[in-house]
Formats: sequence, structure tokens, C-alpha cells
Amino acid sequence: MKDLRHIRFYESLLEQANNELVQRAKSDGGVAVGYTCYYLPEVLLNCGRAFSVRLRAPNTGSLDISQYYMTSFICGYARALFERAFEGGFNFLDFYASSDTCQQMVRVVENIHELKLIDHPGFSYGIIDAPLKVSGHGKKLYAQQIQSRILEPLRDRYGVDISDESIRRAVQEHNELCAVFEEISRIRKAENPVITPREFHILCLVSYACPTALILPYLRETLEELRSREPDTVCPWRARVVVVGGELDDYAFSEILENCRCYVAADRYCFGSFPGRQQIPLREDFPALEQVCDWYLETNQCPRFMSQEKILQRRETVKNLVEEFHADGILYEQAKFCDFWGYERTLAVQIMREDYGIPTLGIDREYVVHGSGQLATRIQAFMESLEIKRIRRGGGVA
Amino acid sequence: MKKAAAENMEAGTAIYRHREWRGFRDTAYDFGKWAQLWAILIRWALSHPVQNVRAVLRYRWMFSYLTVPSFFDRLCAGQRSAGLRAARCNLNHMAGSVTDTLTTIFSADLHLHPESRKAKEKNRKIICLDELVPTLVAKGFPDCEAVLLQMYPMFLPSLINQHSPVHYISQAELYGLPADVCPLPSFEAGLAIEDDYPKIGCCMITSNMPCDGSIMTSMIQDRRIGLPTRPLNVPLRWKREEVQDYAVAEILSAIEFMEERTGEKCDWDALKDACEIWNEQQLSKFEKWEMNRTAIPPHTGASVWLYRVFEHQVACGDRRTLENSRKVNAILRKQVAAGRCPKTIRHRAVIWSTPANNYANFNNWLLDCWGIESVCEMFDIHGTGLIDTSTRESMLYGIADMVETSTMRAHTKGGYEVMLFDLWEKVREYQADMIILYDQISCKGVGAISGLFEEGARWRGIPMCRVRQDLLDPTSISRRDMRNDVNIFMQTVMNETPVDPSLVDFDDDESW
Repeated sequence: MKDLRHIRFYESLLEQANNELVQRAKSDGGVAVGYTCYYLPEVLLNCGRAFSVRLRAPNTGSLDISQYYMTSFICGYARALFERAFEGGFNFLDFYASSDTCQQMVRVVENIHELKLIDHPGFSYGIIDAPLKVSGHGKKLYAQQIQSRILEPLRDRYGVDISDESIRRAVQEHNELCAVFEEISRIRKAENPVITPREFHILCLVSYACPTALILPYLRETLEELRSREPDTVCPWRARVVVVGGELDDYAFSEILENCRCYVAADRYCFGSFPGRQQIPLREDFPALEQVCDWYLETNQCPRFMSQEKILQRRETVKNLVEEFHADGILYEQAKFCDFWGYERTLAVQIMREDYGIPTLGIDREYVVHGSGQLATRIQAFMESLEIKRIRRGGGVA
Repeated sequence: MKKAAAENMEAGTAIYRHREWRGFRDTAYDFGKWAQLWAILIRWALSHPVQNVRAVLRYRWMFSYLTVPSFFDRLCAGQRSAGLRAARCNLNHMAGSVTDTLTTIFSADLHLHPESRKAKEKNRKIICLDELVPTLVAKGFPDCEAVLLQMYPMFLPSLINQHSPVHYISQAELYGLPADVCPLPSFEAGLAIEDDYPKIGCCMITSNMPCDGSIMTSMIQDRRIGLPTRPLNVPLRWKREEVQDYAVAEILSAIEFMEERTGEKCDWDALKDACEIWNEQQLSKFEKWEMNRTAIPPHTGASVWLYRVFEHQVACGDRRTLENSRKVNAILRKQVAAGRCPKTIRHRAVIWSTPANNYANFNNWLLDCWGIESVCEMFDIHGTGLIDTSTRESMLYGIADMVETSTMRAHTKGGYEVMLFDLWEKVREYQADMIILYDQISCKGVGAISGLFEEGARWRGIPMCRVRQDLLDPTSISRRDMRNDVNIFMQTVMNETPVDPSLVDFDDDESW
């Protein structure tokens, strides 16, 4: 297929956290709010003058400094963020919105604070305490924490408008972005889709890493382009999978899958589109803040949720994605040293295979996956097994 | 202390060739308490001989309990005078409590009595709790037994016998669990995978304490154990005023769940009585801490933190335990009043972070070999509040605070400042001149602020020795490796010679 018009531009935006669009938003008087986790409702970080940047550490090399401060047994993402902050790569941030949901990630912002790593006079941060199950009092705690630890400091310190009206405007803009992704996602259901896994991953990443208002026009154009894009005459994909897992902001991962002719039909990982790129329904008769918080808590797929209904929801969500996007299997990926996904992957691989009957592979990976031959070998073997299963079912080879 | 203690040890196992000579009075006392321990164990064994033999044959971890006398001897190594008496009183009291609970467990265990109607009946009144949920939350159900499910198959065996976790951790890893996760939840997962938890109880209260690994291992346990489960979510930023309502709502939700499952109504008066006993236990503990701040710290050694864990988690609100604590205080007070120090103390150290279960008596070795006295230990000083029982509401807030400051998580949760700043505070309070910092390699929450400890200690000019350990996995870091970290630090940084050179290096890899 012909390259997408903006794909090089998108790639350049992913070369650094403080990218061209972030710089433009800052120069227009925007307040840059860094965050890392779905527990922080992205849409609320885009109220008024504020704009969200989901933090990444592209082109990470040596992690020597973070190894001293955080030891070598910490997940690569957390260490890379620390290292980048230490190097000064996050000095553009005005506010760091964090959550005490993963103890490794929360330590990043605590180290940043204690070591005064962000050289910015107005810099501040907030950490929320979020519940591990959905209940009436849990929702109350969650909304209260978002309000008092994130929104109010943004208002009091930077003059960000956090009124109900402002939140509704942010939701509207967010929904426009999500509408674009919902349509692109539907394109992936086709047998020979006109968007590749790598391209989709890049689109998703730029939507998280850039100010919504500035990236939206480009994404709309890309959607237009996709509507009329012609697929390759021969379908190159050997099998389709749903990728499930934790933080994954290196699109080289999707590139490896693509090179193995493995199509990512749906992406249920952090920085992916499920959840995060679905429109948020708002009612007029309830405060927008509470509705948004409820939405994020209920759709959250983090394995840290302990209650049975959320555990079941996670598995059912994956199963539904497999069915809806006509996937042949599931690929559970986990960043090394991630406790949550380490356990979730272990158990889910067994359960999805045995209880749901879906071929499933579990892998762990480094933060930077570029050039991982080991990963490619495992994916290829999985592709072969899926093909064999299809042949046994009488479906032939793609 | 005899200055060549290692000569009394068998090579490889470090088992004593004969009982330690501590002077006539102390040796006689120690022997008497050792005999009392045997009496407790024999009484327990003979109370249900068939059931207990079946339990030993059914559960791999039960073998560890056969070595308890040796374990207690290790915990009392080098102890003299009041310290010895306090340790022996506490340990024997624990032995009595643990054997009683084992009887409760095995009498109701459907693995041992699969068809027994009596066992099924007993289970209707057994509430299983996660090991870090203090039993105080279930004291409103005096007709029920609250059992910390992981305490008896996991936590205690890992202390008693360093090799007990290895098999279960291997099973968890064979199942697919990454090897880098903390071995404690990994051990718990291994037990569930092997179906080696006793099959007891009518319900289970799990929790998010102390860490992310514990949150996740409960998922494996839920699946394998199959009890109706309610997670108790304890706020992480527990010092914040605004999260306390949530903490109370969670306690109430757990009580409501226990009411549903047991068919009993919560007896608030019984709960209040238990809280008041707990307050007395706390006051007794505060006095011990106060005594350790003096020039003659009387209550030190590994049995101290072990008893604190037991008191806070298992025996909170228990009158017999309170009586034992008071008895111990009376013994300690005498020594402080007499102004005698029966040990060689060169350094007063604060021991920070989680101790290694596979080397529970490490504190004793520190003192015996290098004269490093553990005057304050992080594992011992959690839970510093009293419960206001004047109204039901205030009592619930007090219970919530007690749960929030459970073992380990009182420091590892609540923000980095809780663990970091409290260390400097304790160094000042206890007039410590050095820090022993456990570097638990798989503890991500503490590992991720290790640089802040280094810089803080250097900036304050406090010598800090890092001791690598892997909590309860001796195959990663052995006892000998741990000792070696201290030896190197004491010789090369502090330029000191050992109090007992025979203890600098000896082989105990095969020891229980």
C-alpha cells in the first residue's frame, strides 16, 4: 500500500516527548500536563488551557543513572522516564499527574520531586490514591482524589478552567478524536485491512503524546485518506491477533509483528485504543466530573483491580475483542519487572486457552523492543501454530 | 558470649553441638523454657495424633514445624538476662497460640476430612483473612474463628526453615510466573497451584496489602481456593485525611460480608472490648520502644519483630497475649532499672526495610559477630496509634488506621517520605550511629527509592550498610552472602575487627 501522507510527520512527533506540537501548544500559552496511566482521565487533563502528554522516553539508551537510583529490577518504562527526567527531557512539563496505582511508576514522580529533576520554576505534581474495585464509596474517593489532587492544583496554580462547562468542552473534543479512532478501528475488521498494525500503533501514540486540539486535524485527514486507500491485491496476513498487556509505547513492537505477517486486529494495552479511544457519553443532568470519573473507573482494564467482577470483565473484554475483530489468537505482552502484568499474563494465558478455548501466547519484553530477534522468533512460531490450527479446521493458509 | 560461638556449630547446617553456655542462671532458664516448648509441642501432637500425622504427610510445609525448637534456639542465640527471658516468653507464647490455631485448622480441613460433616460444620464459623489483615477486624464475631490463611502454610514456615519456600516458588515459576516478582506472593501462588492451602473457612477477606505482588497473587489464590471472597481495599496514601472515609467504608463492607457469610451479626461490644485490649497491647509496646531508646536497650534481637508481627496481625485484641506482653515488660524494666548491660554493644543500629525471612536470626548474628545492636527495626515499629472507642464511628476510624499501618505497608506505602523521612527520625530518636538497610532485590517499591537512601545517609554522615537479600528465597541470596555484605562493610569501611571472629564466615547453607 502507498504510505500515509502524514506518517513521516507522525514518526517525527514520536522522536521526543517535547515534540513540535507540544512546543506549539506551550508557546500558545498551554499548560503541559504529563501523565502515564489510564487511572488519570486523559480528558480531564485537557480542560481549559491544559493539555495532556502521555509520557514516553523515545530513543532510550543507557539506563545507568536510573539503575543507581532505582536498581536494575524496576520496569524499563519507569526507569526510562526517570532517566529522561534526569537528563532534562521533561523540563517542558508544568504538572505531572500521577497515581499511586503502580508502585514503580509512582516512585518516578517521587524521585523527580525529591531530586528536583524538573528544572522549571512553576513545576508541580499531584498523586491520586485510586480504588482497586468499583463501588459507590470507591467512585466517590476516585472523583474526590481527581478533584483535589489534580484539577484544583491545575486551577489554583495555573489558572486552568475546571468548571463543568470546561470539562464538557474537553469531552466533546475528546469524543471527536475517539470518533476518528472508532472508524479506523472498524477498518481493521476487514479481511485485508487498509491500515497496518504499525500505522495504527503510530496513530494511537501520537494521539496520546500530542495536544488533542493540534493532532486532531491531521488524524481527520488520515481517516479521509484511509477511506479511499486501496489494499494490497494479495492479503499479506497469516493470522490476526488481539494484543493485550501493559505499557507499550514502542511501535517497533507492531513492526516486528507486521514483519512476521501477524495482523494486530485490536490493541488492548496501555497506549492502545481499548480502552481510551471510545467516546464518553455524558448526561446533562449530572456533574460532568463524576460521569467522566465513573467512565474511567468502569472501563479501566488494569489488572490491579481485585474484585471478581472486574477480573471477569477483563477476560470478557478480551474475548469480545477476539470475536468482534475476527482474531485467531491473543498475544499477552508484559514489560519485564511489571508485577501486575507478570501475574495477569501468567494466569490469563492459561485461562484464555483452557476456559475460553482461544490460542494464546504470553511474552515478556524490554521497554525498547527494536531489533528483538527473540521476540520475532516467538511470534513466528505462534503464527505457525495458528496457521496449523486453521488448516485443521479446514480454513487453509492465508 | 563465648568468643568462638561458631565452634559449637556443625559444618554445613550450623546446628549447635550442645546448648549454648550463657552462665549458670541464664543457661538453666533457657533450658527450662526449651523444655516448656517441647511440652507445648508434645501436648499439641498428642491432642489429635492421627489428624496431626496426616497433616504432616499431606502438607509439605508442615515438616518445617518439626524444627521449631531449633528455630527458637537460633532466635535466642547470644541472648542474655532480660533479653533472653523476654525472647523465650514471647516465643513460647507464640508456640502455644500457633499450635491452637493449627488444631482449629486441621480439625476443619476438608483435605484431611473430606467427608466429615463435623468439619463442614466447623467451617461455617471460620473466617479466612489475608495474612496482613489484622484479626481485629473479625473480633465482632466472637463465635467465629478468624484464621490468617497464609500465615501458617507460608509466612511461619519460611521463617522456621529457609528451604521451605523453594519448592513452592519453583512451582509458581513453572506455572509461568516471572522469577523477578517478590518471593512472598510467589510462595503464596505456589501453595495455591499445589493445592497446599488447608481447605477451610466459609469466606475469605483478601487485601491489597502490602504490595502490588500481593494484590495480584490473590487472583491466583481466589481461583484455586474457590472461597467466596471480598477484597478489602486499604488506601495507599494512608496518611491523607481525605482517604479515611473510604478506609472505614471498606472495613464496614468487610464486616457486612462476614455477616452475610457466617450468618452472625456483628457484636459491636465484643469488637469494642478487643479494641480496648489492643490499646493496652499498644501501650505495652510503646514502653518497650521507650526502653530501647535508653543506653541499655533491653528488647532486641529477631524475636522482637517476629513477636510484633504476631501481635499486630494474629493476636491483636487477645487478652492472653496482653498478659504475656505485660510480663515481658516487667522483666525488661528490671534490667533498665538495674542499669546493667549484659552484651557487647559497639554500634546502635536502625535496621530498615523488610527483614529476610530466610535469615530471621540475622539480628542476633549482627550483635554476636560485630556488636551491632538493632535498637530499632522497621518491621517492629509499625502501627503507632490508639483506637478511640468512645463511639462506634471513632472506633471504626481507629480500626481503619490500625489496618492501614499493618506490618510492612506502614512504611512501604503512603509515599516515599513515610519510609525515607521516618528512617532519619528513628536514627535521631534511638541515638543510632549506623543503619543496616536491607536491599530486598525483588521489592520494587523500596528498590525504586534506593538512591534516595544512599544520598540521604551520605548527606547526614551516617554509615549505612546495604545487605542484599531476597526475602525468603535462599537460592538467590544465601545467609552467607548476607553476612558477607556486613563483613566487607565492617572491615573495609568501618575498619573494625569482629567481636567474635569465628562468626565472620561459616557455612550454614544446609541449615533449616
